[in-house]
Amino acid sequence: MAVKTITQPTSRPSRLQKIWKSMSIIFESRVATVGMSMVLFWVILAFISLFWTPHDPNASDFIQNQGPSIQNWLGTDHLGRDLLSRLMQGTQVILLKTRLPGDAGISIPGGVAIWGVIGSLTLGSVLGLNAGYRGGWWDQIIMQVLDALIAFPRIVLYLVVIAALGQGDLVVILAITITGAPGVARLARSLAMDIKTRDYIRAAETRGENVWYIMFREILPNARGPLLVDGMLRVGYAIFAIGTLGFLGIGLPPPDPDWGNMVNEARRNIFSNQLAVMWPALAIASLVIGLNLFADGLREEMTRYQK
Amino acid sequence: MTELKKTPPVLKLEDVAVAYKVRGGEIEAVQNVSFEINRGETHGIVGESGCGKSTVAWAVLNFLGANGYVKRGSIKFQGQELVGVTGEELRRLRGDQIAMVYQDPMQALNPSMRLGDQMSEVLTVHRGMEQKEAEKRCIEMLERVYMPDAANVMKRYPHQISGGQQQRVVIAMALLNNPALLIMDEPTTALDVTVEAAVLDLIAELRRDFDTAIMYITHNLGVVARVSTRVGVMYAGEMVERATVEQIYKNPYHPYTQGLIRCVPKLGADKAKSVLYPIRGRVPPPDNRPVGCVYGPRCDYIQERCREERPRLRQMPNGAIVRCHFAEEIDASQWTPSEDIMPPSVEVKDVVSDPIISVKGLKKYYEVQGSSLRDVIGLGEKRYVKAVENASFEIFKGKTLGVVGESGCGKSTLIKTIIGLEDSTSGEAKFLGFDITDDISKRDESLIQELQMVFQNPDSTMNPSYTVGQQIGRPMQRFKTTPKDEIRGEVVKLLDAMRLGENYYDRLPRQLSGGEKQRVGIARALASHPDLVLCDEPVSALDVSVQAAILNLLLEVQQKFDTTLIFIAHDLSVVRFFSDHVAVMYLGQIMEIGPAEAIYTPPYHPYSEALLSAVPIPDPTAVQKHIRLKGNVPSAINPPSGCRFHTRCPRRELLPDGGKVCELEIPPWRDAAEGHRIFCHLPLETLRTFDPVITQPTEGS
Amino acid sequence: MARFIIRSIISTIITMLLVSISLFLLIEVGSGDITVKILGVFSTPEQRASYAAQLGLDAPAWQRYIDWLIGNDWRAKNKVGYPLVTSINPQTGEADWWADVDGQLTRWTLEEGRLLTLKRQDDGSTTSHISSGAWQIDEEGREYFWGVDVKNNAVMWVRGAGAEVWALTKAGLRKEGDGPMKYIPLRKGLLRGDPGISLQYGRPVAVTLVSRIRNTLVLAGAAFVIIMPLALFFGILAGINEGKPLDRIISITSLGFTATPEFVTGIFLILIFGVWLKVLPAVAIFTSADAIFEDPKLIALPVLTLTAVELGYIARMTRASMVEVMDSAYIRTAIIKGMPISRVVFKHAIRNALMAPITIIMLHVNWLVGGLVVVEVIFGYPGLGYYIYKSAIFGDFNAVEAAAMVTVAIAIITRLFGDLAYTLLNPRIRYS
Repeated sequence: MAVKTITQPTSRPSRLQKIWKSMSIIFESRVATVGMSMVLFWVILAFISLFWTPHDPNASDFIQNQGPSIQNWLGTDHLGRDLLSRLMQGTQVILLKTRLPGDAGISIPGGVAIWGVIGSLTLGSVLGLNAGYRGGWWDQIIMQVLDALIAFPRIVLYLVVIAALGQGDLVVILAITITGAPGVARLARSLAMDIKTRDYIRAAETRGENVWYIMFREILPNARGPLLVDGMLRVGYAIFAIGTLGFLGIGLPPPDPDWGNMVNEARRNIFSNQLAVMWPALAIASLVIGLNLFADGLREEMTRYQK
Repeated sequence: MTELKKTPPVLKLEDVAVAYKVRGGEIEAVQNVSFEINRGETHGIVGESGCGKSTVAWAVLNFLGANGYVKRGSIKFQGQELVGVTGEELRRLRGDQIAMVYQDPMQALNPSMRLGDQMSEVLTVHRGMEQKEAEKRCIEMLERVYMPDAANVMKRYPHQISGGQQQRVVIAMALLNNPALLIMDEPTTALDVTVEAAVLDLIAELRRDFDTAIMYITHNLGVVARVSTRVGVMYAGEMVERATVEQIYKNPYHPYTQGLIRCVPKLGADKAKSVLYPIRGRVPPPDNRPVGCVYGPRCDYIQERCREERPRLRQMPNGAIVRCHFAEEIDASQWTPSEDIMPPSVEVKDVVSDPIISVKGLKKYYEVQGSSLRDVIGLGEKRYVKAVENASFEIFKGKTLGVVGESGCGKSTLIKTIIGLEDSTSGEAKFLGFDITDDISKRDESLIQELQMVFQNPDSTMNPSYTVGQQIGRPMQRFKTTPKDEIRGEVVKLLDAMRLGENYYDRLPRQLSGGEKQRVGIARALASHPDLVLCDEPVSALDVSVQAAILNLLLEVQQKFDTTLIFIAHDLSVVRFFSDHVAVMYLGQIMEIGPAEAIYTPPYHPYSEALLSAVPIPDPTAVQKHIRLKGNVPSAINPPSGCRFHTRCPRRELLPDGGKVCELEIPPWRDAAEGHRIFCHLPLETLRTFDPVITQPTEGS
Repeated sequence: MARFIIRSIISTIITMLLVSISLFLLIEVGSGDITVKILGVFSTPEQRASYAAQLGLDAPAWQRYIDWLIGNDWRAKNKVGYPLVTSINPQTGEADWWADVDGQLTRWTLEEGRLLTLKRQDDGSTTSHISSGAWQIDEEGREYFWGVDVKNNAVMWVRGAGAEVWALTKAGLRKEGDGPMKYIPLRKGLLRGDPGISLQYGRPVAVTLVSRIRNTLVLAGAAFVIIMPLALFFGILAGINEGKPLDRIISITSLGFTATPEFVTGIFLILIFGVWLKVLPAVAIFTSADAIFEDPKLIALPVLTLTAVELGYIARMTRASMVEVMDSAYIRTAIIKGMPISRVVFKHAIRNALMAPITIIMLHVNWLVGGLVVVEVIFGYPGLGYYIYKSAIFGDFNAVEAAAMVTVAIAIITRLFGDLAYTLLNPRIRYS
């Protein structure tokens, strides 16, 4: 009992401090701060869109292909829909919600890009840690399989998976998971190979700890930083990929607007309305750049911190 | 001497301060450093890590990075001011007039350029020499530094030659233009002791022949004693004392210098005398130095004045220069250790029981894969690295076995096999009567708990993600030696035993110093109350003052818990100080084993003798026999036949036929005394005739 | 060195095999009922089953994988009893399957219950004879015959029980009598250069694939030749000026281009060069097979699009590597040796700095292929990427599998080259 009363008050502030400390790393880097603001801009917009958009994103209420006006800040598309509302609504499927299949229209929190990256981080870490820590045949076999996956051109894999399983949020998540996992696994493997030479791993081994304990309790917590930074970059790739799939007409299904698909539809009217292509393009680019800067800045600060 | 005085010193630093710009300000890494080096002189700069030794070197070369600069003072090179010199003028000086040799030759050489190209460009760029001519000169210089097969080495890449040879290349490269000033930054730290000895010989010889001024930076008091004529002691960015090498060791004025000398184990003195006294506290970081004397908080003689006023450099009657207010009044011989650094008293216990661990003919071979097509597809002949060959020894409860040898001698593999990180290839190993030839996965939990380990590198011994308390508590939790709700109490008890308070419980590793991490590592090893603790070079990565504290702590712990220790190290003085028995290993083979006293006095195994003569001794007056080994350590894949040492043995000639028998037959074990065995063809009578390697001058102190 | 190469080659072979299996399985699991796509949603289950049998889809998956990989003529040969050979049909220019009956190319057909032997004459025409006595009797007493039919299948006819089959003709589905009971659609298999018949176009995949591959290689090659030197140049330039304005400009520009999807870059390039300035064609319409060689302007915009996207990525990689190398101890040595900065960069740094990007670039080739798909779709460029896209959408598994294997082969072979280049640059591997 005495133990508990002592641990509680001491551990509390240290956790808060820990969070504050990791936050302060971000603000120490100008690059990371700029990146985070760009990402936050879209996240906030996504949350707002949950409750409010200027107009109904799917209703053709206006004159087609209009430029910006007081009524439609960013103009309208070829069907007379408000571009700003569509752009805002488009963030949801990427960042905030995943629509489950079925007619009930149920969504779970966490966007397609987010779940896809979580999937590849999980799968990749498990494979990479096993390959890196155990080495030998484990390593040979896992890396051989992953090499085969890497050799697959991503887009072909997307096409094949989607051609095979049909369109849908979960299919896109699966495609992102499969294409992302080999890269994460390579990173996790190299981190595990580095960390496993440390003496504290030797110490765990001399305690006769189980391999899973060593991989997930001793190695993973120390590989977390680089993996998370990599994950952040991957969210960018995923958004990029979702856009590409949308453009090819095999991305996220309607009714939610999809940025890539918005570009695809608008390009037929590019002569009369360049802005309809421009806005979703800018949206994708700014979100991806934001994530890149954020990750770059964090990585730089983290290595500085370690030194 | 008088002639030297007339010419200006090659290098003269006056009141130099170096600052680095960091976010939100500036840090003065080095303050008020002044010294001069004359032609033909080696000026040692010694101090613990973080004292600014290297920064001084970089300042001379004006290579302080984008954010560093010389803030105050002047650096004169042959009368020419170096501060502020940039661009083409600076480039012409570097590599031509001023050359540098670094700590890690492997890192310092370009991995994808042939050594010949890296060397010859120094001549072609600075002297405009023709390529052919430059190469010729490079080969001459390589031969000058005793590089075997010099012409061939020119065509090789750095990874194709050994560490010692790489350092010879770097030294040769530095000397090509016959520089007036040679800066050496820990040039032998990464090398093995016998290689180090040869490189140090070479440096001394080159200094004489080339009449170069050398600035020699090292943390090793033994090395500095061997190479330098004058020594500057640096502490926390300041030079606290400067004197001739004899004065520094015999009559140190500054309390820091005195403290440093007290905390290194001395090989020459007999064991009873060599007691280590650590310096308490740690070197303050550059952004948090005390106001008055920088050494004040760690000084035994601190007075009010020391806290308020920074001492100036003052000249003593014998010429030494000291930065201390009370240098004249402090008498080192009257010093008594304070309570917190008092070394443990060692009481000798009688051996009563059976040995706790006994190993007989233990072997560990690793399979290696060749590179030919047959090997790749698995048809090639299987080849093995014979990492440990026929190791036999036993240890009694509460005793310490020290294992010494150079890198690659198999000492680490030996303890890995004992603790079960590797299984053994053949042989017997029994611990408390249980078989321990298998690896850890096949051992019983209660057996695992009895064998624990202390590791070498303080920065990697602790998992950065967990607190001190969690890490020490983990073995208790895992082996269930302590009920869950009592773990914290147990951990705190252990922390107390390590002289760390309860407030360390919730700290993370990055908040600890190297010595503190090592203490936690020891606490973790002791947490499951093991009978045998294996220590893998636990102090070799620590500064000397911390090293002493950790060694004392280990002794204390051993007394308290009656723990048996296997202690491996490459430093013979540390092993001697620490062990009851010592085993000397070479290329997987134990060459000599016996009571510590016996190993360090004749009869010696020829390899032990060579090792002892190579150790740098922190005492410029000690006389050491000069024995140097030829060639490189052979590969353990195909070790030499017969005696593994025969390719390099300096004593082979004493046998008939130039030691033909050493190549042909495995040597016999010769029992020199109770428990003292030597693995050599030379008969004991011959071995007994060897003189002691180290002799103290008679006056003593 | 030898070991390294052997390992790479063995690994490549295993990788290709794994890829082919997983690709086959993936399409197997997911492609759904291809016959619906071909025959339309109004076809009856009976029609679909009949057509599936004609495509050989009634065989087990492992059997079809082996057929796909190494062909099935050797298997059908045992049934027919004669060697099976291919011969070019002078009318279509495509290969037809024949049984080699004692040096005479022969096929069979069943008409109104009678078995006809078709013999090919030297001028390409065929003569038909009524075949008699060819029927064999199985255990159940049925009379059957294995032969090669006129649609390049090895088939089994059963006398008197001529099945009704639904044949797909230009006019639509037609019911035919006298059909075979079993089909083995003859093919040589991917490894022997015959990936089968495109379900979408009804022609052998190999024929269409060749020109597509060539077009794509021209496009990718042109892009590669432009990207590589530029990217390395800008990367190194940024790397040695780390933190200076020039570095910032290069880094931010490359990030901007990399983060802009190909389809956006492509559209705006069309808008600027094709519509506003009217200097380059906005779409790549091939009037002849060799159009790219006659009018190189056709590929200008596709190449430019690829360059914009890939240049930045490789430049960033090169920069990162260069920064790391410039920070290393041996560069410090070179500077301290008093080497001029140009010599430090060119003699000491570049070679080491190129090692990392080269492997990354070679791994990156499959990204490039991804970009190719999008670029080809935007510009309507008749290349491999467009082909894969259309085939995948259609579900033409023969075409997708073949085309995907080609892209995978390209990716793996470039990686092999990357490994070799790395070995040549890195003496540590070369001499160990």
